[in-house]
Amino acid sequence: MSAPEVASITKQLSQEQVNEYANAAGDHNPIHIDVAFAEASPFGGTIAHGMLVLASLSEMMARSLGKSWLISGRLRVRFKAPARTRDSITASAKAQSATDGGRHRYVVDVVNQDGEVLISGTAEVDARG
Amino acid sequence: MTSSPRALLSDLPKDYSFPPTTFELTPDFVTAYLDATCDEAPVYAEAALAPPLAVAARALGTLLELVELPPGSLHTGQEMEVHAGIPFDATLELSGRVAQRSERAGMIIAALDFAVARGADVVMRGRTTVMMPKETIA
Repeated sequence: MSAPEVASITKQLSQEQVNEYANAAGDHNPIHIDVAFAEASPFGGTIAHGMLVLASLSEMMARSLGKSWLISGRLRVRFKAPARTRDSITASAKAQSATDGGRHRYVVDVVNQDGEVLISGTAEVDARG
Repeated sequence: MTSSPRALLSDLPKDYSFPPTTFELTPDFVTAYLDATCDEAPVYAEAALAPPLAVAARALGTLLELVELPPGSLHTGQEMEVHAGIPFDATLELSGRVAQRSERAGMIIAALDFAVARGADVVMRGRTTVMMPKETIA
């Protein structure tokens, strides 16, 4: 049984969104929200929370796989590069050909507008739905 | 093993266990999370279940109330396993420990394992990996 296809999604980040996420998640690390602090850092500017960028990947899985993702989803990812607060990010999933142990498996990533990989890893969901 | 609140994560040893704590997942939090992530997928309302990463973010936020990340910390990895759907409105128990800790080139790499339970049932497990400067930046 092959894993269902998952449609990619693209999201536009903004400083306002990052600020809103900081308030919602309670993560006020200045590298995300303090422009002056971030400009003096090695990043040269604010960056989005890794969990905010990762949210695009989870949303993609939820949109394509529905409730299965909410009750049996698994993610295992590495943050490879930071997302700038003005990046356009695209989350994608490539279904693996065979279902493994009753689970559909995907290789997933999030890239920016330049094709730079920001997040890479795997996602799984229970094949029984 | 436990220590005082707001210890630096980089100072915690391997196998340190956070004091078990409880947090509330609320419709207001889930709505704020969905607004902040611009996530308009209809499945959450249809299934009456929270986005898994909202729960993970809330769990990590709760842990960060107990421990402080030193300036210059980077989130380098994230794992999450959902064992059961989690409604918008739930009282959840959180446990966590420092599962791995290593030092390399002036940086400390720590992996935090956490488990979220609803009553007697673990509904989510996760691992967050953070890289931190060994010497705290003033």
